[in-house]
Amino acid sequence: MQDYTEFIDEVLVSAETIEKRVAELGAQISRDYAGQELLVVCLLRGGLTFTADLTRFLTIPHTLDCMSLSSYGVGHYASSGNVRVNLDLMTNIEDMNVLLVEDIVDSGRTLAHVLQMLKTREPKSLKVCVLLDKKYRREVPVEVDYVGFDVPDKYVFGYGIDIDEHFRHLRFIASADLTKYRKT
Amino acid sequence: MQDYKDIIDEILIDEKTLQARVKELGEQISHDYAGEDLLLICILRGGVVFMVDLMRHITVPHALDCMALTSYGVGARSSTGNIRMSLDLQTNIENKNVLLVEDIVDSGYTLFHVLEMLQTRRPKSLKVCALLDKADRREISIPIHYRGFSIPNKFVFGYGLDLDEYYRNLPFVAVVDLNKYKPPTA
Repeated sequence: MQDYTEFIDEVLVSAETIEKRVAELGAQISRDYAGQELLVVCLLRGGLTFTADLTRFLTIPHTLDCMSLSSYGVGHYASSGNVRVNLDLMTNIEDMNVLLVEDIVDSGRTLAHVLQMLKTREPKSLKVCVLLDKKYRREVPVEVDYVGFDVPDKYVFGYGIDIDEHFRHLRFIASADLTKYRKT
Repeated sequence: MQDYKDIIDEILIDEKTLQARVKELGEQISHDYAGEDLLLICILRGGVVFMVDLMRHITVPHALDCMALTSYGVGARSSTGNIRMSLDLQTNIENKNVLLVEDIVDSGYTLFHVLEMLQTRRPKSLKVCALLDKADRREISIPIHYRGFSIPNKFVFGYGLDLDEYYRNLPFVAVVDLNKYKPPTA
């Protein structure tokens, strides 16, 4: 496994900036749902770090659930088509305020499918919070209610986001120079 | 939903102590696996907060996978029986160094069954890292290679551990005052 310093292009969002923004999002979500309860749904595995940190800043009563999804489509780096649910929610979301927490929105296809599916369960409300928004890559319209950062169309890693399953632990978000990256 | 301040008996492990210990564990794990690659397995949902903080201190190359477990039988995670995997690993662990990361070890039955099951997949190594060890409650012997804290047999919550699904986000581990706590009526 290469050290990330060998293929890093640039740090897109520093640890301090992430921490500050996550705190802001937590405060904003707490204001928006004041007096209500919330179910936070973490989309595995990329959303874990963001969810763990975000919930530390929530001051409203909330519970946590997880979903694991994969695409039926071909290709690891591009998702298309329908979504397969590997792990569904333990919680019945009927009449609940649901907030999906995702690391990154790209084409929007996965998110659009999940939202469609969850809506059939008639939650009281259903919103989306993403750390990173790659707007330029959007292929289907999907409404994102809380955005951490807009990022350019670069290959990013760190803060929960992996390259071949590694580097999720980094406290910052960086772009990779794929010409220097060697898959092991 | 009650405010945690209304139901707290005592703070068992404060934020500073927790974070310092998590850092130590990360450093120890990095030291022990030096030169190797590691797969961290987060046991949902209680292990999430601990896992996220722990991996930030792990400097050896590592990947992350998740497992969700439920018990057959009554009372989640309290049964002595077999374990149902609601979410299995995406990773094939054959010949991999695997470290299971758990929030708390209680009777040990869940962990016992998971370890038994994962051993059948022939990992290179299989170890356990638990934030909290309630050794007084142990009913079956299991190895804990990395232990955050040994705690007394009290009802704890916070730092990933829930009370009826709430309070996982608290930065400390606290003991609940069961005389004051009223479970949510759902």
